[in-house]
Amino acid sequence: MVSKKSKAVGLLLTTAMTMSLVSACGSSNDTSTAGNTSTDTKTNNETASNEGTETTGIDTSKKVELQFYMLGNAPKDLSKVEAEINKMALEDLNATVKFNYTTWTDWDQKYKLLLSTGQNVDLIFTADWTQYQQYAKKGAFLALDDLLPKAAPTLQAYVPQDMWDAVKIDGKIYTVPSTYKEYVTNGFVWREDLRKKYDLPTPVDMKTFEAYLEGIKQNEPKLQPVSFGPDILNSLVGTYLDVQRKNVGALPYGLYASYDKPSEMTSYWGSADQLADLKLFKSWVDKGYFSKNELNETESMQDKIANGTAAAILGDNPTRYNATASKMKSLHPDWELGYTPFGVTNGYATPVHPIHNGFAIPNSSKHADRALAFYEKLVTDKRYNLLTEYGIEGVNYTVEDGYYKMLGDANTNGFAREAMNGWAWRNPEFMLFEPSYDGVKAIFDELDKIQKPDIFTGFAEDYTEYQSERAALEQVVKQYLQPIVAGQVDDLEGQLQKFMDKANQAGLQKIQEAYKKQWLAYLSEKGIQ
Amino acid sequence: MKIKEDSSTKWFRLIAYIVVLAGSIMCLLPFLLILSASLSSNASIMTDGYRLIPKEFSLEGYKVIFQIPDEVLRAYGVTAFVTVVGTLIGLLFMTMAGYVLQRKDFKYRNFFAFVIYFTTLFGGGLVPYYMLINNYLKFSNSMYALIWPGLMTPFLIILMRSFITSAVPDEVVESSKIDGANDFVIYYRIVLPLAVPGLATIGLFLALHYWNDWFSSAMYISDASKYQLQFYLYNIINTSNFLNSIGAGAGVTLSEGVPSETMKMSMAIVVTGPILLLYPFIQRYFVKGLTVGAVKG
Repeated sequence: MVSKKSKAVGLLLTTAMTMSLVSACGSSNDTSTAGNTSTDTKTNNETASNEGTETTGIDTSKKVELQFYMLGNAPKDLSKVEAEINKMALEDLNATVKFNYTTWTDWDQKYKLLLSTGQNVDLIFTADWTQYQQYAKKGAFLALDDLLPKAAPTLQAYVPQDMWDAVKIDGKIYTVPSTYKEYVTNGFVWREDLRKKYDLPTPVDMKTFEAYLEGIKQNEPKLQPVSFGPDILNSLVGTYLDVQRKNVGALPYGLYASYDKPSEMTSYWGSADQLADLKLFKSWVDKGYFSKNELNETESMQDKIANGTAAAILGDNPTRYNATASKMKSLHPDWELGYTPFGVTNGYATPVHPIHNGFAIPNSSKHADRALAFYEKLVTDKRYNLLTEYGIEGVNYTVEDGYYKMLGDANTNGFAREAMNGWAWRNPEFMLFEPSYDGVKAIFDELDKIQKPDIFTGFAEDYTEYQSERAALEQVVKQYLQPIVAGQVDDLEGQLQKFMDKANQAGLQKIQEAYKKQWLAYLSEKGIQ
Repeated sequence: MKIKEDSSTKWFRLIAYIVVLAGSIMCLLPFLLILSASLSSNASIMTDGYRLIPKEFSLEGYKVIFQIPDEVLRAYGVTAFVTVVGTLIGLLFMTMAGYVLQRKDFKYRNFFAFVIYFTTLFGGGLVPYYMLINNYLKFSNSMYALIWPGLMTPFLIILMRSFITSAVPDEVVESSKIDGANDFVIYYRIVLPLAVPGLATIGLFLALHYWNDWFSSAMYISDASKYQLQFYLYNIINTSNFLNSIGAGAGVTLSEGVPSETMKMSMAIVVTGPILLLYPFIQRYFVKGLTVGAVKG
């Protein structure tokens, strides 16, 4: 009995001991750092006043490693740049940084996992197309309002107040916006040499664009006049709504509101306008402007222009137009590419919204203050900024007449221009451009004259109440609307009616009403009429 | 009678040959297309599409790859390492598990077999799996994340258990026990030699799994020097797909060069080449292994 009892006690003791050992091992990091941050916040004011020499008002007594996450592929020479950065960061902030990249394989799924599993992430890229608004609304990011003046006063002063206001979601700042002003608005892209050759009108609006397509069809029967690719709902319908009907933004669920009257939101799907537009698209297919098989296209629209298999793109942004033009020039030096921004047609252009590029600190971050201080360095300190945007001077690039010049070519150079995908921490004061970028700058200057603010991107949709309807609708759109747009059906009215029936079954009404309610609330909150 | 049989056999042979021939040509054609595309100049692919015989012969794709081959070679090395190490350790673990699970004197063998089998039917999904590897085991960015998850594949354990049950009679185990062998000696002196065909099957399954795996790299590896070969290739394709699919409104510009068609095809040849050469030699084991255990008796 006794021996049994003692055995049992011994067993209990050992399990308890091992448990405590294991748990101690597992949580030692967490507890110490958690304690650290709490003392950080408490002693922050003290340390700031005590150490006048310290540039930041945060406690940097303990060395930390920051986990920095960016989308895309890591450049080859990342480790060298990282080592250089760490040398400086260790001195300035007593911190080192690990730059992590998600690659473009399943990046959206990975992004979701990074934010939802409580993984140790200190800085992460945000954009409108990574659903910053939704993630911020769901509480994935840390509110920076209180932290900014403490950890990054220079950064706070550097970014204009109206940008801070613009990125606010529910009244709080969750991301550090990029201050570089660019336009990603669309414009007509066409083959200027062919236009001259056959004396076709310059595309400046839909009418002249159609005339150009017709001219190409007549004179170059082998060439596809215009291409859209598989994402035809965006590249054709979205762009068409943008240029012809002045849509306020890429509104989802078939909703439509004009830029001039954003509060008058109506359903574009099922409207007479939509039918008229669909008839137009169908006529384009019938006339052979684009192929019925556009949904199966694997080559990009830009490549088709550069290779000479297509003659126009309905809408592309200035930067990409420029890249297409230089790619085309390298393959066919005697060809020319023309561009008319939609701003010329519509009389206004919206520069990118501050939400468009930013960096946020996830809620799971254990060193939020240090992370923000580091990000401040990245943006406002020229040494950090140049190193992470362009690589090591003399090894990866040189500056010639104020222009950026890559050393070697894209295959041999381990760090091309902006190879770390540093879109968000671009600093206009330090930025270096290639000579070919002057064309884009000229377009930007042109658009600057007619700029108006983007009123759409600041809106954060909350789709929790119609999540299932939303998924069902997505299927319906793919199955019924996409073939109509791609010109694969003949009976437009009938098929459109069928699509509307299916969409209504999926809950279109509910979605549209809920969205409209949120949209109007947003407009009145921001004071937009 | 003899003649009759002959003619029907003849017909059967003829049809069989035609079917097999058509099948193998269909299998071969895409590969030839890749080979020819890798030897064409990029411009001719763009304007004339893929052809079985290159219109403009060029080695530019291979030149670009072998100019700086370190990335491809490193990815090759990672995959080779993971495959060899993973298969060896996995074989050891899974044969041991299979051996223990089929021992009749192991009282709870059915319970444990059930627990193992249960995981093949009901999984926790991606999020718990990701959290386990990343947050608790802390395998992210290390080779462990690539090797570990495949080491105990439930399906293969079950396969091994049934194979050992059918290949090693209980009496053999019993008699070795009487001769003084302990359980482990029985395992590696008696059971393993008798189970060689099973080992070949499972080894091949496992090796193929490791060789074709890209998902582990996609999820857990952010250090480019630890990418597996398949992921390295897949990511190249994904990068250009991403660029094509992202709308103009996102304004994303990537500085990295998107590989040309020729380069993609040359890469596919460089990567599949060695396996293609290796395949005829291991193929006979593969065929043998697959049929092992299929016939009872």
